[in-house]
Amino acid sequence: MPVFQRIRAVLFYLSVLVFFAGLPFILSFALGYKFNPHTFKFTKTGLIFLKTQPEGASIYLNKKPVKEKTPASIQELMPGTYKIRLEMKDYYSWNSDVEVEAGKVSRMDKILLFPLRPEFKQLNQESVSSFRLYPEKGVIYYLDEDERVVFKSDTNGNNPQDIAALPENFTDIQGWDVSADQTKLFLFNPHQIAVVFLESPDIYDYSDSPVFLDYPKSKLVQVFWHSDNYHLVVLTNRNIEVVEVRPQSPRVSLVRLKSQRIRASYDEKHDTLYFTCPLEIGQGSGCSNLYKLAISPNSYIFDMPLKNKTDE
Amino acid sequence: MNKKFPYRRFLEVIPGGISWGLIIALVVLAFFKPVACAIFIIVFDFYWIIRSTYLTMLLVLARHRLSSEKDKDWLKACQALKPQGKWEKLYQLVLFPIYNEGLDVLRPSLEALKKSHYPKDKIIVVLTFEERNLRSREHALKLEKEFGDIFFACVSTLHPDGLPGESRTKGANATWGARFARKLIDEKGIDYASVIISCFDADTCVEPEYFGCLSHSFLTLDKPHQASYQPMPVYNNNIWQAPSFARIVEISGSFCQMIESMRLEKFVTFSSHSMSFKTLVEIDYWPVDMISDDSVIYWKAFLFYNGAYRVVPLYITVSMDVAYSSNIFKTMAMQYKQKRRWAWGVENFPFLVSAFLSGSRIDWPVKLRRAGQLLESHVTWAVWAVILVLIGPLPLLFGGNFFSQMAIGYNLPKITGLLVNFTLFTSFVWIVLSRSILPPRPKGVSWFKNILMVLEWLSVPFIILVLGSTPALDAQTRLLLGKYMEFNPTQKGIK
Repeated sequence: MPVFQRIRAVLFYLSVLVFFAGLPFILSFALGYKFNPHTFKFTKTGLIFLKTQPEGASIYLNKKPVKEKTPASIQELMPGTYKIRLEMKDYYSWNSDVEVEAGKVSRMDKILLFPLRPEFKQLNQESVSSFRLYPEKGVIYYLDEDERVVFKSDTNGNNPQDIAALPENFTDIQGWDVSADQTKLFLFNPHQIAVVFLESPDIYDYSDSPVFLDYPKSKLVQVFWHSDNYHLVVLTNRNIEVVEVRPQSPRVSLVRLKSQRIRASYDEKHDTLYFTCPLEIGQGSGCSNLYKLAISPNSYIFDMPLKNKTDE
Repeated sequence: MNKKFPYRRFLEVIPGGISWGLIIALVVLAFFKPVACAIFIIVFDFYWIIRSTYLTMLLVLARHRLSSEKDKDWLKACQALKPQGKWEKLYQLVLFPIYNEGLDVLRPSLEALKKSHYPKDKIIVVLTFEERNLRSREHALKLEKEFGDIFFACVSTLHPDGLPGESRTKGANATWGARFARKLIDEKGIDYASVIISCFDADTCVEPEYFGCLSHSFLTLDKPHQASYQPMPVYNNNIWQAPSFARIVEISGSFCQMIESMRLEKFVTFSSHSMSFKTLVEIDYWPVDMISDDSVIYWKAFLFYNGAYRVVPLYITVSMDVAYSSNIFKTMAMQYKQKRRWAWGVENFPFLVSAFLSGSRIDWPVKLRRAGQLLESHVTWAVWAVILVLIGPLPLLFGGNFFSQMAIGYNLPKITGLLVNFTLFTSFVWIVLSRSILPPRPKGVSWFKNILMVLEWLSVPFIILVLGSTPALDAQTRLLLGKYMEFNPTQKGIK
């Protein structure tokens, strides 16, 4: 046999040997079996996978340190309960009992480690009564303690500026919000809405800012901006209506309500109001279900209840 | 050929049936039994790691052998053989079956013959053109005029189109050319046993020592007429000009052939190769209706000699053109079709098995081993990339929470990652070796191409995806469905 063929034969049989000798170990590792060299037996084990945010925490398994740091997997663990402690300098340690089952992974991959000294900073100089965060736009609006001035800054408190004065004598503010285009802000108290213009209203023929919308006979519960930044969706104890942001604007009452026990959420993307409240539909009696009210510039569609509930 | 074998159609279904059966079974398994599928994938991954390491070591050995025999003076070695003067009686018959290749492809091949160290008065060149191509006659006349006086003979013939029983294959053209050469040899009174025929692709350029090396092997081998002689094909003619994608594919093809040269028990002729003219006449030439003429000629001789026929590797290169086109997509399509044509060699399986079952006197263990090797190589070709690339992630995708909570669900990606790392290691060896078989950088080609030629290996995963298994699966599916392929020669690149 030529020398190259002899070398090749050796390589071939060596490869076959490595394959058949290595395969049981590869498979047993994959399936979670542990080989005991003393008893020559395979025992089915489990493993723990640990992942922390931030990474790099030291791991202690039943008080004994583990060589790896997170993220890490601790393999070949006999079934049972293990005490895990994760430690990282300047962070609170994390402790938990972890149950390990044979042939399974106990995944602890959403561990948050909190710093001992949390990073926080003061964003402004003035006392604040309330604020609104718009993370997608990177801005914060806030009212001063006396609720007379609106401030705006970025989310790190940079570039603070007082952008508008709130109407005098407008007290007992129940809520406020800035329109999506950041040109207007509404505030409301139980019987009045005030809309303050943050930019000059040169497109529409408005009277001077602010615009007041009065509700002397109803009690305002909640107000939302419509996505067109021109209409307000107003919830009172009597009805749900949509109004334009101008004095003497026509008011369209969409739904009559029986109670001020209304809970509502507004999907500005689809201009849809979700609410639950006793209401009157035609001659029927009131019932308190979850409703969906589509509000578009062209039509108002009052959908069937999303979830039926027995009338109390 | 034994097309009348009653179960031939059934045999044609087997390779594609096994390949598709395996793929479908694994997909179904991944869906319903992800753990079982994962176990199969891990076994296959491990097998592939061992196999690729083993094959890479064979490649290193083959490359070592190629370089150690590179500068050998083979003619001198022939002259030293006893009895002296034996080699001088040998004639080298070089047959070029030509489809529609132009003079720009043919002329360098003949120039390479002209530069051969072998005595030209012992070289007979036969150019066999396809008559149906309009410029064949003109090319034949030009080349005969240019090279007619250089060799013992340089003649050409036109292969008529549509002869009874023939398909439009290279084998039909080569058979026509060989029969034509036989008449010439008879006229000259040369003994067939003294003639070695080399059937070369039109773009094949031999090294000056090729015929010396071939003659030496022929003269020193026991039963030299019961062997084919396979040089190492490289694609160096235009490798510096070819696009990265095509270059990687062809270098890999050369390497595969070098690896095969170390596995003598399953080594089969491929592309340009040589054999005894006497044997060729005895086995009645190439089949005239099969595409894979280069490999099926080996099987014909193997059957004729009842298994006592082999392929002897010649550690000397023959250089051919890299197949490429004007843009990457056309090049990919061209490469795909070329690989599919190679994979159509799966037609050898029904041919061989039907011959085995039709009263061949070869021992049954040999029959089973050779048929098994042939089937295994084609099935592996068709499924390996599919299993590694596409089926590998399926248990994780289909297994859901149940599978991801299992130890095997956690370990499967880690073991697959191990495979990737090993592939990187073998790729590194291939990169180094690929540099060693490159011809010198031609003038006008930027030095930066050296760097590109290393970086282009990063495209290997993409190439595996496109050209790894798909052409073979395509070819096997066609055979399974009875949609037989027609010969479609690869358009070669510009030199």
